[in-house]
Amino acid sequence: MQYQSQMAAKPYFIAAILLFVGQIVFGLIMGLQYVIGDFLFPEIPFNVARMVHTNLLIVWLLFGFMGATYYLVPEEAETELHSTKLAYILFWIFLGAGVVTVLGYLLVPYATLARITGNEILPTMGREFLEQPTIIKIGLVLVILGFLYNTTITILKGRKTVVSWVLLLGLWGLAIFFLFAFYNPHNLVLDKYYWWWVVHLWVEGVWELIMGAILAFVLIKLTGVDREVVEKWLYVIIAMTLLTGIIGTGHHYYWIGTPEYWQWWGSIFSALEPIPFFMMVIFAFNMANKRRRQHPNKAAMLWAIGTPVMAFLGAGVWGFLHTLAPVNFYTHGSQITAAHGHMAFYGAYVMIVLAIISYAMPMLRGRAAANSDKSQVIEMWSFWLMTVSMVFITLFLTGAGILQIWLQRIGENPQSFMVVQEKISLFYWMREVAGVIFLIGLVLYVISFFIGGEERTAPAKA
Amino acid sequence: MQQTTALTAGKEDYPPGDFVIWIVIYAELLAFGIFFLSYAFARSQNVELFNASQLELNRTAGAINTLVLITSSYFVVRSIAAIRENLQKQAARWMWAAIGLGSIFIVIKLFEFYTKYDEGITLSSNTFYMFYLSMTFFHFMHVILGLVILTIMATKIRHGDYTAQEHDGMETGANYWHMVDLVWIILFPLVYVIR
Amino acid sequence: MNQPHNESSVSHRGSMTLRPCTLVWLALVGLTLAMLVVGKMGLSGGNVVALLLVATLIKTQLVADIFMGLRQSRLLWRMIVTVYLVGVIGLIGLAWWLGNV
Ligand code: HEM
Ligand code: HEM
Ligand SMILES: [Fe+2]
Repeated sequence: MQYQSQMAAKPYFIAAILLFVGQIVFGLIMGLQYVIGDFLFPEIPFNVARMVHTNLLIVWLLFGFMGATYYLVPEEAETELHSTKLAYILFWIFLGAGVVTVLGYLLVPYATLARITGNEILPTMGREFLEQPTIIKIGLVLVILGFLYNTTITILKGRKTVVSWVLLLGLWGLAIFFLFAFYNPHNLVLDKYYWWWVVHLWVEGVWELIMGAILAFVLIKLTGVDREVVEKWLYVIIAMTLLTGIIGTGHHYYWIGTPEYWQWWGSIFSALEPIPFFMMVIFAFNMANKRRRQHPNKAAMLWAIGTPVMAFLGAGVWGFLHTLAPVNFYTHGSQITAAHGHMAFYGAYVMIVLAIISYAMPMLRGRAAANSDKSQVIEMWSFWLMTVSMVFITLFLTGAGILQIWLQRIGENPQSFMVVQEKISLFYWMREVAGVIFLIGLVLYVISFFIGGEERTAPAKA
Repeated sequence: MQQTTALTAGKEDYPPGDFVIWIVIYAELLAFGIFFLSYAFARSQNVELFNASQLELNRTAGAINTLVLITSSYFVVRSIAAIRENLQKQAARWMWAAIGLGSIFIVIKLFEFYTKYDEGITLSSNTFYMFYLSMTFFHFMHVILGLVILTIMATKIRHGDYTAQEHDGMETGANYWHMVDLVWIILFPLVYVIR
Repeated sequence: MNQPHNESSVSHRGSMTLRPCTLVWLALVGLTLAMLVVGKMGLSGGNVVALLLVATLIKTQLVADIFMGLRQSRLLWRMIVTVYLVGVIGLIGLAWWLGNV
């Protein structure tokens, strides 16, 4: 660590991991409710658990992105952060708002929550991922603006690198597209239309830029490869991401009442969306092959290489699987969607945040370059446990999805939703088991940071 | 990249220009290719409609635009040939001429779009027009981007940024423009002529 | 990367021989005009389409080889484009055949 203000990243990373644990616990609760319908009823209904699970996911990823930014920007800009104090203040506001929101979901019926937070003044509640009360959304915008102000000023006054520009572009895009969450037209078609502008343009647009930038940063640090090479890759990745991702939004417009040409546009452009993910795989392996030094933090390298691979699988392959309109006609809103959603979010965004935490945390905790070998072994175990169990969650859900589609939508005698759910419950049981293993992996990840032993020091030359 | 065999001896490792532009070119070709094949197979489901609608297009405008793009591409080649001999003035002249032709393409294309707009044709008129408008508009945007690139190159030539020894940047931009040309060379017969 | 290309004009300057790129340009213009005529006449049928597609293949390969300079580079890079062209143009032909025959 070269700059004192990089320490601001630390609370963000810690909060991210704690909320991550919370997210998974609620995932497991829901997983069990899938097979034991009245589990925890009436304390935690399924829809509430779902809201908590997905909202925690988004919030902790945002914590992760912010932490990553606070760590990365001073080092890239070669100057201290504009205001460390602001970073800490915003941290507490953000955490407070996040906790209050989750408590609100859990303790108050959603309709009541909407009423007491004055939703009718500016109605924004009730849409997946964007369930937060309006005032919380406004607070979130203020936090993000403060954060963007802080980091943009830092970059403007310091060294300007392609990595930090791409990161900044992604973060500003994140903020700007979030504004569509405040537009909630009565017309259900338009409502969906704009909803996707937040959700899709985040994960298949600007977040990809954030991912690319963080990945590039970590790989530069771990491999010592020339910036020039990295920058070229970043340019193409951004170009391809935006070219395919923006019009690719059309793959969500097929059946919501938009004109028919969206079936073509959505299919064609989203079919190309795997390209930028594939480029990231090549990019990462290229860098690893060209590496100029053997960084002692092997665990971070594992995460950094694993990220693009799993992102390509989850987003690229599992996304492509159901993105063409004639296929999506059958798979829309089935367990195939959930399978893809899990692996894509995990591979792209969960893993990139874990990668930078893995790289930065040892230094934030006062170690020279990496954790001890013993600690790293545990961390690599956690990598494999989480990653492999996520692969299995995806496979089980895909199996469930195929059967579901067959029995419910294609077969001779289409059966009703609940009847089919009963028949495929074996898959849900297996998903739950894989989920427990995922949690074990996550707990090991946390534990690995508390394992002492002789730490590895400065990077050895290869 | 080391194992250059007899087969490729004497050849350069990469095509001219920055290798990253080739990744872009291949990706773009893929995008257009998917469009072309979607058109072709959608047509095979509905030949009468496609044949009838095709007759409503302005073939002459399409052909002129093909000639315009081909010639523009050729001028860019000449511009690079001039740079290779350090003839900056000539290179700039060829480049501006290429830009001029590219602009003519834009004007003709806009005229075609306007005619269709005037006839009340939209993306939702029928599948043929959905493809016609989507593909030509997608290509149109590439022409505009290509023109921006050519303009940057032309000004850089003026500033003496390229020489016989160092003009990688120029070959990079030129190849993007050739790609835009190449794609149109397929698009023209596919959409305007084949029936 | 910037070695002079085969078509490098040094040897041609001042002589009556045309540069390769000029020949290519003429060929492209000629083929385009031929296509326009076919289009104007509204010709159709397997042979016409086959000719049009072959002409398209020749035109695009010429642009790739001479204008883009792929002829000078390693086979792999050139083959990617050739395979692409043959594939796309061939499938266009197949689709035409499926629809018209
Ligand atoms: C990291 C990137 C990605 C993430 C995090 C992601 C996540 C998700 C999520 C969570 C959903 C479910 C949304 C909902 O209905 O609630 C979804 C839907 C979908 N995704 Fe992705 N995705 C990513 C990339 C892609 C890519 C690259 C493709 C296509 C190649 C794709 C294709 C689709 C399709 C077609 C749907 C709609 C499924 C349906 O009709 O039910 N996704 N995605
Ligand atoms: C890092 C790990 C995880 C991520 C990134 C993640 C992400 C998501 C996302 C994006 C959704 C919404 C999907 C959609 O709208 O289609 C979702 C829903 C869900 N998740 Fe997770 N999740 C994770 C772990 C888990 C685990 C371990 C379990 C349980 C074993 C689980 C169980 C569920 C369930 C049951 C749903 C609800 C699906 C439905 O609505 O039918 N998740 N998760
Ligand atoms: Fe999407």
